[in-house]
Amino acid sequence: MIETRKLLPFLLLFFTSCSAFDYSPYDGLVKGEIGINNKNSALIERNCSKRDTIRFAVISDTQRWYDDTQDFVRILNKRNDIDFVLHGGDISDFGVTKEFLWQRDILNELKMPYVVLLGNHDCLGGGKEVFTKVFGNPNFSFKAGHTKFICLNTNALEYDYSNPIPDFNFIDSQLDSLASSDDKTIFAMHARPYSDQFNNNVAKIFEKDICRFPNLQFCLSAHDHQIEADNLFGDGVMYYASANIAKRSYLVFTLYKKGYKYEVVEF
Amino acid sequence: MKWLNFRISTLLLLTCPSFVSLKADDSLYQERVVKYHSFWNKLVPRHYKLQFAGSMGLLSFGPGWEYGKHHQWETDLYLGFLPKYSTSENKLTLTLKQNYIPWTNKPLGKHFAIDPLTVSLYVNSILGDEFWTKEPSKYPGGYYGFSTRIRFNLSVGQRFVYFIPNERRKYSKSVTFFYELGTSDLYVASAFNNRYLKLHDIIHLSLGLKMQVF
Repeated sequence: MIETRKLLPFLLLFFTSCSAFDYSPYDGLVKGEIGINNKNSALIERNCSKRDTIRFAVISDTQRWYDDTQDFVRILNKRNDIDFVLHGGDISDFGVTKEFLWQRDILNELKMPYVVLLGNHDCLGGGKEVFTKVFGNPNFSFKAGHTKFICLNTNALEYDYSNPIPDFNFIDSQLDSLASSDDKTIFAMHARPYSDQFNNNVAKIFEKDICRFPNLQFCLSAHDHQIEADNLFGDGVMYYASANIAKRSYLVFTLYKKGYKYEVVEF
Repeated sequence: MKWLNFRISTLLLLTCPSFVSLKADDSLYQERVVKYHSFWNKLVPRHYKLQFAGSMGLLSFGPGWEYGKHHQWETDLYLGFLPKYSTSENKLTLTLKQNYIPWTNKPLGKHFAIDPLTVSLYVNSILGDEFWTKEPSKYPGGYYGFSTRIRFNLSVGQRFVYFIPNERRKYSKSVTFFYELGTSDLYVASAFNNRYLKLHDIIHLSLGLKMQVF
C-alpha cells in the first residue's frame, strides 16, 4: 500500500491537468468555431469595400510551429495598417484534427480577419474534411476593394482524377463578364505551378487560363518554405511565395489604385 | 499443401481417437494430444476489456491474456469503433496493447483490490481508405516521413478490482474498473519544442472495464 500512497498524488495531478478524452488523433471531432473563411471573407469585403488602397499580410506553412505563429500574431496585432491576413496553407503537419484547432485558436487572436488556404499536409488522414469544416471549401474567393482574390486548391498529388485539381470549372465560374476597368485579380494557392504538388501537365494551360482575368496583378503561393519572387512563365505574371513561419518572416502587399508594393518583413 | 495435410490429419486425430488408438505408440500419441491441448488452452483469452477513448476509437472491445509470476504482464487485442464526426466515413481500429502492472491485486478490503500502477504501450491501426502504413508510391521517397495509419501510444493508470463472491459468479470471477492517462506519438511530436502546447493538451483520459473470466 506504500506504493499507492506515493503514486496517488502524482496521478491525481495528472488526472486534474488532463482536459478531455481523445478518441483518435484522426477522429475529425471539431470543437469550437467553424466556417472561418466564409465569415472572414464577408468581414474583409465589408471593411475594404470601395477602398482603393488595401494592405494585407501573407504567411504560410505554420505547421507545428505554434510559438512562431503566436509571435507573428502578437507582432501583427501591434500594427494598425493591415486589413487582413492570408495564410497560404499547411496549417497542420500530420492532418491531425487537433492541429487545425490549435492553429485556429492562435490565428483567432488576430485583430484583423484572416483566411486559410488548403495545403498538402492539411489533406492527410481525412484532414481535408476537417479543413473544410473548420475553414471552408478549399476553392473560394472574396473581394477586397476592387481586387478579387481567387484562392485555389492546387495540391493535385493529394487527389486522384475524380477531383480536378486545379478545378478549371471553379476558375471559370469566377470570371465576371461584367467586370469594370477598375477590377483587378489576384490568385492564391498553396503549391505553385511546377512544384511537386501541382498537376504540371496543365501548368501552361493553367497560366493561360488565369491570364484571362481582369488586371491579373500577381499570384501568391507557399509550400517551398522559402521566400520566392519569380516570373515563372516569363510572361510577366509574378509568383510570390512566403516562407514557413519558423523562418520568422511575412509578406506585406499594398494594393494601390494603380500598381502594388511588395515587402518582406522579418520578426 | 503440406499445411493442409497437417490440418486434415490433426483433425482426424482429434475426431477419431479410436482410429489412432490401434497404433502401436498410443501413449506417445496421448502425450502429444495433451500437449496440443495445453498449448491451445494457453491461448484461451483470460479476460475481456471494454475501453472508452484512449486514442484508439470511441469504444474498443477485445480479449486479453495475462502471464508472469504475479500476472504482472498483460496483452490485449482490441477492435475499436471511431464514428466519422467531420470526416467522410466511420472507421474501425485495431489495437495491440502491452501492459505492465508492477504490483497486482493489492488488497483493499474483503472483496476489493487495487493495482496502484499500470504502464501500457500500445500500437493502434486505423482502418480507412485515407490512411497508409507506407507512403503510396506517388510520393517522392520520404515525402512525409511518417505513417498516418500506425500510432504508438503510451499510458499510465490505476485499477480497482472487485472480486465477485463465489456464489454470485456467473461468467467472471472479478470485474475491474481502470483509468489511464496517455498520449499518442503525433501529440508528443506536436508538443516537442513548443511552449504553446501544454501537457494537458496532449495527455488524455480513458476509462475501461475488465471482465476476468478465469
